[in-house]
Amino acid sequence: MLEGILQGLTTAVSPMNLMMVVAGCFVGTFIGMLPGLGPISAIALMIPITYGLEPSTGLILMAGVYYGAIFGGSTSSILINAPGVAGTVATAFDGYPMAKKGQAGKALAIAAYSSFSGGTIATILLLVAAPSLAAVSLSFQSTDYFALMVLGLTAVAAFAGKGNVVKAILMTVLGLMISTIGTDQTQGIQRFTMGIPDLIDGISFLLLAMAAFALSEALLVVLRPKSDADRKKEMEAQSNLGSLKLTREEVKEMVPVIARSSVLGFFVGVLPGAGATIASFLAYGMEQRIAGEEKGKLFGTGSIRGLTAPETANNAACSGSFVPLLTLGIPGSGTTAIMLGALISYGIQPGPRLYIDNPTVFWSVIISMYIGNVVLLVLNLPLIPYIAKILSIPSTILTPMILFFSLIGVYFVSFNTFDIHLMVMFAVAAVGLRMLDFPLAPMLLGYILGGMMEENLRRALLINDDSWSFIYDRPLTLVILLIAAATLVMPYVMSKISIWFLSRVEKNEVK
Amino acid sequence: MLTSDRIGALVLLAFSIGYGILLFQIPLLPFQRTAAFTAQTLPKALSVMGIVLSLILLFTSRNHDMPDVKGYNWLNGLMICGLMLIYGFTVRPVGFIISTGLFLILCEYVLGERRWKILVFSTMPVVLFFWFLMNEVLGVYVAPLPGFIMEMGG
Repeated sequence: MLEGILQGLTTAVSPMNLMMVVAGCFVGTFIGMLPGLGPISAIALMIPITYGLEPSTGLILMAGVYYGAIFGGSTSSILINAPGVAGTVATAFDGYPMAKKGQAGKALAIAAYSSFSGGTIATILLLVAAPSLAAVSLSFQSTDYFALMVLGLTAVAAFAGKGNVVKAILMTVLGLMISTIGTDQTQGIQRFTMGIPDLIDGISFLLLAMAAFALSEALLVVLRPKSDADRKKEMEAQSNLGSLKLTREEVKEMVPVIARSSVLGFFVGVLPGAGATIASFLAYGMEQRIAGEEKGKLFGTGSIRGLTAPETANNAACSGSFVPLLTLGIPGSGTTAIMLGALISYGIQPGPRLYIDNPTVFWSVIISMYIGNVVLLVLNLPLIPYIAKILSIPSTILTPMILFFSLIGVYFVSFNTFDIHLMVMFAVAAVGLRMLDFPLAPMLLGYILGGMMEENLRRALLINDDSWSFIYDRPLTLVILLIAAATLVMPYVMSKISIWFLSRVEKNEVK
Repeated sequence: MLTSDRIGALVLLAFSIGYGILLFQIPLLPFQRTAAFTAQTLPKALSVMGIVLSLILLFTSRNHDMPDVKGYNWLNGLMICGLMLIYGFTVRPVGFIISTGLFLILCEYVLGERRWKILVFSTMPVVLFFWFLMNEVLGVYVAPLPGFIMEMGG
């Protein structure tokens, strides 16, 4: 393991890779700050660039972008109350009130320090957790993998749907359906190509990710023009930041919050499907309760604890979500799903074998995450007043650029103009689904896991002489499948229990 | 009442049914028909799941949200989509520089930018930079101009 760490370290600190971390954090902050564009779009926009790079360099770039985008999202949440990402919604609860009080600089500094500490603590946990989980998962067979993929899909559906599980599962199924278009991987039979030769190779993951996220988000900006009042708000916010310094008391108040929220965030991030959004809300809620009545009341009005908790937790969860990706090959969130897709297109299969076959990739990613944290703190924080100027670039110029980057990102990989038309179709469909409040992340995950799931299932059946008995014959498979079923039923049961509980409490109060 | 959930459920129901009909066109060899898992197995399961889930959503959704589309600028959205489609048709025959330049300038124009200096100077450098990046740095040839002009130049 030590050898691996050293190998990773040498890869991560090579000048090229260091440059990539810095560039990634920077570009990520830039894109993440644009209202509407989140880390998924940011990474999707980066993929065409990473195609020409070494796998570890490409992954390092994407990890940097991921961090940067989360940080950029916090910046726009704090400055203009417009979270670019769901994971930073909780940041706006206390960050924006602080900015309104003229303490925007302080809020940004708190966000940066919390993100740094959360990310760092989580990276250390990752350093311990990932190899041990990878060692366990080496004994997994294709039947277990099939079960794990089912678990990944159900978990994402259960968490991503904002309470509406059916919608999320439906979107996962849609993603699985899209993954069946093209030539069948094991038998070479064409499916759903409708005689169109461009569809024989299937729909590329890059095209789907770009169209469903970057392009559709840009189209939504076109559809929902900003009012003059909003623009004025943005101009004011970036011209009036205030001091970036924190007092000793404020730091003292932050430390215990960081310690709790980072551990919580990490473990929530490890759970497939949970991710940064849930982690930040959980941490916010937990801290509000711990803070006691007096300080708890300050939450929502510009409380330091209320800003520290979600910021720490969402960054810790980002690191946590790399555990299932790197060790099991199961992405825990939309963002890691995109990275999984990118890894597969490099010809690297994430999972337990990654740790053995490509230790350099495995460790350099983990170490570059730590470097990314340092970069964010050392480079991005002092530059925030300048980066914030991006909010003043009019969307009339930015939006066409995002459209152009998305289209050309796909076109320059395939050089097939059919892809551009397909993207427009998918983007329009994605805009429609967004308007109807259907989550798109489960769809992407279904698409990415679909092919792998089918292959593993088929392999499992082949090994078992076409018998489905492996589902209950192999205890590990059965246990994972049962957990998958439980994650689907859990939200429903939990809501029933909480309703029952509340009604009892009310009854008692009436008595 | 047609709420967001129900509209979405109906659309996805139609999609699942269409998918289900198309799946019978997947060719299977005679010996594959008896296998436990064929190229049709997963699509069949997905189609059934899609239909069942959208029906569940259609009949059990208690969410009364309507799609909120007040103040949407549909015309701009339509024009931008049109421009992207046209860009797809022109990028090869007209060449990268002209088609991309026009695409960006027209997008900015549709979005309300009217100062021609900004229209040109915010777009053309980006286009030229990308063309240079592809051709010179990454070594991928992208035709910059329409075919007939390139031929005249020999």
